[in-house]
Amino acid sequence: MNPLVAEGSQSPALLVLEDGSCFRGRACGAVGEAFGEIVFNTSMVGYQEIVTDPSYAGQIVTLTYPQVGNYGVSESAMQSTGTALTGLVVRDMCHTPSNWQSTQSFPDFLCAQGVVAIEGVDTRALTLRVRSGGAMRAAISTVDLNPKSLLTRVTASPSVRAHNYVADVSPRQSRTIPASADARARREAAGLPKLRVVAYDCGEKRGIEDRLTNAGCDVIAIPFDTPAKDAMAMRPDGVFFSNGPGDPEQVTQTAEAASSILGKVPVFGICLGNQLISMAAGAQIEKLPFGHHGGNEPVMNLITHRVEITAQNHNYGLVFNSMGPLVPELSDGNTTHTRDLRHWVKTGVAPVVQTPSLGRVRLTHVNLNDGTPEGIQFLDIPAFSVQYHPESRPGPHDSHYLFESFVGLMDTWKAKRYSECASTAKYGHAPTDACEGRSHYAQA
Amino acid sequence: MPKRNDIKKILIIGSGPIVIGQACEFDYSGTQACRVLRREGFEVVLVNSNPATIMTDPSTADRTYVEPITVEAVERVIEREHPDALLPNMGGQTALNCAMELGKAGVLERYGVEVIGCNLESIRTGEDRELFAAAMRDIGLEVAASGFAHSVDEALAVADGLGYPVVIRPSFTLGGAGGGIAHDEADLHHIAGQGLSLSLVGEVLVEQYLEGWKEIEMEVMRDAAGNGIVICSIENLDPMGVHTGDSITVAPAQTLSDEELQNLRDYSLACLERVGVATGGSNVQFAVNPKDGHVIIIEMNPRVSRSSALASKATGFPIAKAAALLAVGYTLDEIVNDITRVTPACFEPSLDYCVVKVPRFAFEKFKGTSEELTTRMKSVGEAMAFGRTFEEALQKALRSLEDEHDGLGPLATQVFDEKRFDDLVARPTPERIYYVAEALRRGWSVNALAEATHIDPWYLHRIANIVAAERAIASSGLSGMNRDRLLAAKQMGFSDAQIARLTGSAEDVVRGVRMVLGIHPVVKTVDTCAGEFAAHTSYYYLTYEEGGATEHIPATRPRVIILSAGPNRIGQGIEFDYCCVHATYALANMGYETVMVNCNPETVSTDYDTSDRLYFEPLTFEDVMNVVEIEQPAGVIVTLGGQTPIKLARALEEAGVPLLGTNASAIDLAEDRDRFSHLLDRMGVAYPPSSVASTPEAAHEAARRIGYPLIVRPSYVLGGRGMAIVYRAEELDSYMQEAAHVSPNHPIYLDSFLEDAVELDIDALCDGSEVYVSAILEHIEECGIHSGDSACCYPPFSLSDAIVERVRCVTRELALTCGIRGLLNVQFAVKDEQIFVLELNPRASRTVPFSSKATGVPLAKHAARIMAGERLCDLGLPAESQEPAYFAVKEAVMPWTRFPGSDSTLGPEMRSTGEVMGIAKTFPEAYAKTRQAIDYEMPSEGTVFISVRDNDKRAVSAIAFALHRMGYKILATQGTAKTLRATGIPCNIVKRVTDGHPNVHDALSAGNISFIVNTPHGHASRGDGYILRSEAVRRGITNVTTISAATALLHALSILHDGKGLSVHALQDLDAAGETQAQE
Repeated sequence: MNPLVAEGSQSPALLVLEDGSCFRGRACGAVGEAFGEIVFNTSMVGYQEIVTDPSYAGQIVTLTYPQVGNYGVSESAMQSTGTALTGLVVRDMCHTPSNWQSTQSFPDFLCAQGVVAIEGVDTRALTLRVRSGGAMRAAISTVDLNPKSLLTRVTASPSVRAHNYVADVSPRQSRTIPASADARARREAAGLPKLRVVAYDCGEKRGIEDRLTNAGCDVIAIPFDTPAKDAMAMRPDGVFFSNGPGDPEQVTQTAEAASSILGKVPVFGICLGNQLISMAAGAQIEKLPFGHHGGNEPVMNLITHRVEITAQNHNYGLVFNSMGPLVPELSDGNTTHTRDLRHWVKTGVAPVVQTPSLGRVRLTHVNLNDGTPEGIQFLDIPAFSVQYHPESRPGPHDSHYLFESFVGLMDTWKAKRYSECASTAKYGHAPTDACEGRSHYAQA
Repeated sequence: MPKRNDIKKILIIGSGPIVIGQACEFDYSGTQACRVLRREGFEVVLVNSNPATIMTDPSTADRTYVEPITVEAVERVIEREHPDALLPNMGGQTALNCAMELGKAGVLERYGVEVIGCNLESIRTGEDRELFAAAMRDIGLEVAASGFAHSVDEALAVADGLGYPVVIRPSFTLGGAGGGIAHDEADLHHIAGQGLSLSLVGEVLVEQYLEGWKEIEMEVMRDAAGNGIVICSIENLDPMGVHTGDSITVAPAQTLSDEELQNLRDYSLACLERVGVATGGSNVQFAVNPKDGHVIIIEMNPRVSRSSALASKATGFPIAKAAALLAVGYTLDEIVNDITRVTPACFEPSLDYCVVKVPRFAFEKFKGTSEELTTRMKSVGEAMAFGRTFEEALQKALRSLEDEHDGLGPLATQVFDEKRFDDLVARPTPERIYYVAEALRRGWSVNALAEATHIDPWYLHRIANIVAAERAIASSGLSGMNRDRLLAAKQMGFSDAQIARLTGSAEDVVRGVRMVLGIHPVVKTVDTCAGEFAAHTSYYYLTYEEGGATEHIPATRPRVIILSAGPNRIGQGIEFDYCCVHATYALANMGYETVMVNCNPETVSTDYDTSDRLYFEPLTFEDVMNVVEIEQPAGVIVTLGGQTPIKLARALEEAGVPLLGTNASAIDLAEDRDRFSHLLDRMGVAYPPSSVASTPEAAHEAARRIGYPLIVRPSYVLGGRGMAIVYRAEELDSYMQEAAHVSPNHPIYLDSFLEDAVELDIDALCDGSEVYVSAILEHIEECGIHSGDSACCYPPFSLSDAIVERVRCVTRELALTCGIRGLLNVQFAVKDEQIFVLELNPRASRTVPFSSKATGVPLAKHAARIMAGERLCDLGLPAESQEPAYFAVKEAVMPWTRFPGSDSTLGPEMRSTGEVMGIAKTFPEAYAKTRQAIDYEMPSEGTVFISVRDNDKRAVSAIAFALHRMGYKILATQGTAKTLRATGIPCNIVKRVTDGHPNVHDALSAGNISFIVNTPHGHASRGDGYILRSEAVRRGITNVTTISAATALLHALSILHDGKGLSVHALQDLDAAGETQAQE
């Protein structure tokens, strides 16, 4: 809202970054203070999905699209029951939204959720600062408007690495979400059995649950620290490892669970889940300079040679080359790793590495912007995972097929059991059918 | 997939002349395609009849044919060039239609030409609404309930089934031509009748009218591997029912949620897949019900379009360039994003700004036609603006239009029609946005406005914000505008002029206060990725931000700012942009860093590759000064962009800005007719006796002194706006009543009208001490027809060497006396062996591109070099008076079919939208080519209706005689028939319209007339002639309104009658043969 429109109705607010940069603005959410790591998201729509995404716990999010709140807030966009981010930075907040689904204005929603937000900030200048300076600590305050004192407190605030944010957003108790009626009927008609997916909820987005249940799974979402034996005792047809906030190294309980579950039942992971699964296979994790946060990241599927435009939200990623030596006969004769994985895109090869404990792993997806790994597939056990968000919310729907792939993997597994299909590429079925996925576009 | 190696030579078809619905966006896309394909090693052959395009420069393609885009001409080109492939999706509907016809005629098969970039079957599915509807149902998408009709009766039956209101859309037309909304049977009769006659296949779609639904466009690309991306979503501020070309549009879409938008993305990609778009860009349009999100797919265009040009400029993603690369085998992931240079083109641009496009109209030139906006496009141009908010972008876009508005606020002179106020709020017209704002000022609620207009409340709230800010600014006055409040006003897009008006101050005072308070705009980059990656191009816009973070990079070389021409309008179009683009090329060669300022998204000048830096900004004094202050240029060029920058010359010079070339006082000397007359008197050069009058009495006194007929006009006009010929005192009176509002504080000029004089256009260069008279163009139509609407020929075909020499001499003397540095254009009239100077334009003229192509001398490039300090003798120019072996003819293209109800007679007020060029060994052949290029019917037999005014009766006999000899039957009105019969020409007499039935109108309606020669009787705007001309326009029947044009047409017909067909010539061959000079 431009200050001339309702003069004097907004309190001043201040945003300070660790590097000393300071942005003055006006409060457009709850009053108070928010400390966290500053990141930017380049999605032009989907602000409600972003602020309710638990993966943003501990972060102050800058939206690069300047006018935010245009279509208000609706129940169907919620990605969790509330918000997890610590603060929000926008250029211009809309107090008078318009959309048939809107039940509330976005600033009212932020106030109700207690999210501190600032508007009037040159978010592009801020974005360029974060791009060159990396993700840093920051604070928004409507109380302390003195840049010096706020900066002092920012530099004294704890770093993101030190805290287990998953523990903050993961549910205390498990919940069961049944498969959607449509999907159940579809499976029944096809003579397929029910599928039970146990999902490690590290801050799982509702969009993921929706895709799993729409694909025909009964989902049991369990706390992040549930021991593997308890999860397996639920007799799952597959286990899912969800997205979640912060540094994967902090989430040791879930990582341990992943290690012991992998190989026993089909496994699928997204984002943090991908990192935990990779760690179980011996991968190193790195922190990206400023992460990937947006809805337009191009990812090459090395199996189908099709590009998926993906939604992403992560600051950490696995180092594919650290997972083990290349298997030359499955990597077009290559024996040496290349740092920039776009090499494999150019040569049209999906390379395979030999991991120390979980057999062979194939690189299935590569980010075309920076050559980072976006998806892997285990060849000797039934498991695959992706770094990006195939459920979108917000973002394009290009990768919805992965949920069907997971279901396919579980069906195969259920039908044949592991012993019968341990040979190579039986699970190659998983992230390969992007083309099939495409033709479902307009079946809305 | 890498580049295809099995094709070497590619034929690209352009879009022909600028017409409403198909403007210079196709020059932009075609030029991009030519360049990138040549860079990839392909040989490019181009056919386009429009000389004012960069794409038809001999250096853009390998082989350039400025020839009609007809099956016949293109087949001849194919026959000569034997291209391997045809890329038809860069030249709009014209190129697609031509490709379809070439396919149908078996030409492509005969010569083994492969269509690339799209296939003809998918074009059919995309364009034929019945096939399209079926295809969309296949993939589960809903289309509007509709039915096809091939007659008015069928249309009525369909409408009865659907219920009114209904939309009528003709199949296979341009820009929705002939479409409209019918509220009842009478409307339907009218609109369906028009639509059926305009449709190439005689078919209209009668469709349920989705009143109040949102209109959303998705710009989508797809490659051969099946990758699909959405470049941009565009939301129309005006709801369904207004053609998107006439709507205010906004990118990205503002009022849709992620879920809604992603669904549209899915539908768009599925649509491309189903229609069978193998590669390239497409535009898919949807209607979205604002009450429940229900989606209906409206249409798709399997080609680059006006919207894709807009999307390219709005996002920085070069759609046409990418589409060309996809057509030759690349996939999206193999193409590098030019702007980031590290990421692939296979991504979806993220914007961190809002873009607003507003259309520019020209209804004032088409009196008698309705100003209501419908599904039939009527705008002649558009302006686009960037802002960090919609409010800012809207206000910037509105002041970019140069229609005197400096933002959303009302002008001091603005008069709202009180009687029809509510109606003008509710009904879409060009003025509606101002009525909406005024309604909010008058206390209408957003809800009431939404109810009346169906504009989404989000937009209305934003406009209400602007109105609230207006109030806040006005109530505090300028003294109450502290730093924060003034910054807030600038962030909302208020111009200094607007703030001055609201606070009762002056623009320069507001500017001064702004400087004192340190409020300067900041430079932001259009980078496709919202700042995620570093940008390597300098594609900029200006905005205001707290903190003042600017992305401006100081330059190392001296900079020249080139001010281009703003939105296209009648009288100022692509020709001026062409000159600016040439200037930037020439100056870059000289080592300058070139900085372009323009706000027209259709143009080549606003391609981020064209200049070293591009500022996409309005061309007002304030906005230009912002760029000047940031860039600190060595000089600014104001003489190549038409009236737009010329108008700024004096203010810029007064502000201490160094102008390159002709200075402001020289400009003033030439443009001020009074001072110019004195100059001519001193030089002893004749000009039509003239006078100036500021009262009606003085005007009548002057008229008596000079004698009728007179050309009357206000001062400082463009394209002859407000200009008229008056024959009697009563006409002078009625003119002055109407002209008063054209230019309120300016006197009118009265010039003696030289009847039947030959008019000449001269384009020349002057460096201050020498003059080069490059092109002397002889008009076909006589003096009195606006030079922009008249056909002309190079070299002159009817003038003696002595006259030509005299014209050169006078031009030289004028250029030197006025102090021109750069280009000038002089218009002469020749009557009875005497020459008269009509006017001097101290700037590039509309004819520069044509002159450059006809003579082979790139005038705008040379002008830029002169302005940068070079001398004529350094330019290596060919001798002035060489005789070319070819004739080049330029013919104007009139938009009559868009403006039913307005009179289609040529006159002193320019109304053409574009031009075509014909090159041939003889004048008649060249002229015939221009007729074909404009798609005028040239019937080789049948009946000609002739009716001329008394003055023309002698002259028409010879024409009628020749027509008779060629086998045409002649039908004439009583008076004309008398003359014809007296000279022994057999003819039948037909009644006038007013004389009962059966009359000439009946004959015309029955399809019994092939073409018409009808020079206006008297000067009543209504009457027989008017009815006939309207009917001829409706039926697409050639109607000649001057004897001179009739003579030229006769020549052309005689060429066509000999049956040999027209030969085609590549511009490059003219160069090689030494018949005209090479361009570089």
